[in-house]
Amino acid sequence: MIDDVNTLVTSAVREVFDTMLNLRLDPVEFDDKALSEGTHIASAVGFIGRLTGVVYIYSSEAFARRITAALLGLAPAEIDGDEMVNDAMGEISNMVVGQIKSRLSDRGLPCTLTIPSIVRGSNFTIEAVTSTVRWVACFRSADQQEQLLIETMIKPL
Amino acid sequence: MALKILTVDDSKTIRLIVTKAFKPFDCDVLEAANGVEGLAIASRERPNIIILDITMPIMDGYETLTKLKSDPELKSIPVIMLTAEAGRETVMKIAKLGVRDYLVKPFKEELVVERVSRVIDLRPKGAATNRVKRFDDPLTLLVVDDKPAICEQIKAGLGDTKWTIVGRAQNGEVIDFCTQTTPDCILLSLSLPDDAGFTLFQMLRASVKTKSVPIFGLCVKTAAEEQARSQQIGFNGVITKPIDFDDLKAKIARALNLDTSYKFFQMRDGMLIMSVPVNFNTAVVNEISLHLRPKVAAAVDAGLDKMVIDLSLLKTADITLVKLVLDAIQLCHELALKQWIIGSEAVVTVCRNYEESKDWRFVSSFEEVLAPKVDANLASAK
Repeated sequence: MIDDVNTLVTSAVREVFDTMLNLRLDPVEFDDKALSEGTHIASAVGFIGRLTGVVYIYSSEAFARRITAALLGLAPAEIDGDEMVNDAMGEISNMVVGQIKSRLSDRGLPCTLTIPSIVRGSNFTIEAVTSTVRWVACFRSADQQEQLLIETMIKPL
Repeated sequence: MALKILTVDDSKTIRLIVTKAFKPFDCDVLEAANGVEGLAIASRERPNIIILDITMPIMDGYETLTKLKSDPELKSIPVIMLTAEAGRETVMKIAKLGVRDYLVKPFKEELVVERVSRVIDLRPKGAATNRVKRFDDPLTLLVVDDKPAICEQIKAGLGDTKWTIVGRAQNGEVIDFCTQTTPDCILLSLSLPDDAGFTLFQMLRASVKTKSVPIFGLCVKTAAEEQARSQQIGFNGVITKPIDFDDLKAKIARALNLDTSYKFFQMRDGMLIMSVPVNFNTAVVNEISLHLRPKVAAAVDAGLDKMVIDLSLLKTADITLVKLVLDAIQLCHELALKQWIIGSEAVVTVCRNYEESKDWRFVSSFEEVLAPKVDANLASAK
């Protein structure tokens, strides 16, 4: 099994947010109350092949709008509707999981990515089935304003 | 016709980022959300390049690329993959399918522009449609030399122009400057330490912003080896020290295709006036000759039917001047323009000595031309 999943996740998250958004995210202690209030967005990208699993990226709706605006070079007020935010968060997830997938592939574990999917809601949790192993990593923006939660679930080989 | 770039990606976000990246350039960005749409647009629009994602619904990037490369009409369109998947097996797979390049997400917009510009000739927006610049327009001339005195000397020598002369000594400073401002022309010392001038030339030519900017080498007359090397690698020319500023201005004007015709031709009072400057020489006569036919044609097109050849400033004349005036008269007759020649006494006297010009009838001022009793110089139409 992979023993450095959170290291791979941290490296991928930092690379994507720094390159695409010029935003530094630092790993912090997991806070299970982080997603308890307000509307949140969960974007998921799976990978299928020698290794099978799924990565969920959770953020508040406000942070998702901020990410979308930064990606497109717009002001948050210019973001027109949820579809634009969904698409941007799906693409961010695609890039993060793409980075992880590439590292796994280089270790002899080739797999294929799925199309991103988005879930919106409040006060929800994702439960892993018993046959998967689960890792959770939590990140905060350098200004401490926003939090991002990454949940990785992999089916043991 | 503007270049066409087709971005095929299921993410609207990526398509918007790609479109934004190419906004400063003279090109149209077409969008497709999957391979099927991408192939349809490629067939219809024949883009100059395709930026293709891999993971897409309906038809993924591999299948799209395979179909593109098997279509005789589309297989020559270069394709750059822009993908979140960068593992070795992915790279090997797309390389076998014949892509020109691949980029891994996340990516900087500048990187996409730089990679695309390696394949197609991207130009800043408006560069192709801008009016022709005139010699007296403000231009930015970048001088790269580690000796500040050279830059000062060039500033002084070009002091009669509206050009801004910017001096930089180090390669890093030049790259920083060119990132912010695209100079109109660059004078680059060929004698910088460690061949830095030649290295910098390659860097400037590799950048989409400066690849079309004329670059002249700057060196002493005796540096034959540097001059030969600069010509081999594609400098636009060499300016030798000590600098002949008339020569420098002429070379820059030619390289930038600057319009200098306003110095010799103008339309006013319902006529075209060709004025020969007091310091006329062979170079000036050649320059006037270059503009003569288009300027006379433009005057006729604008509805004018008179031309005045103004030699009043000249203190003397020679056969090159006589030939120029003969060409102008001949052209006037071809296009049915009446013409007058204004000449100083000295010019009139010299012209009487040439067989070609001994019969010319001169007037002494514009007022005479404007007076209805003065006939046009029809006698010289032979």
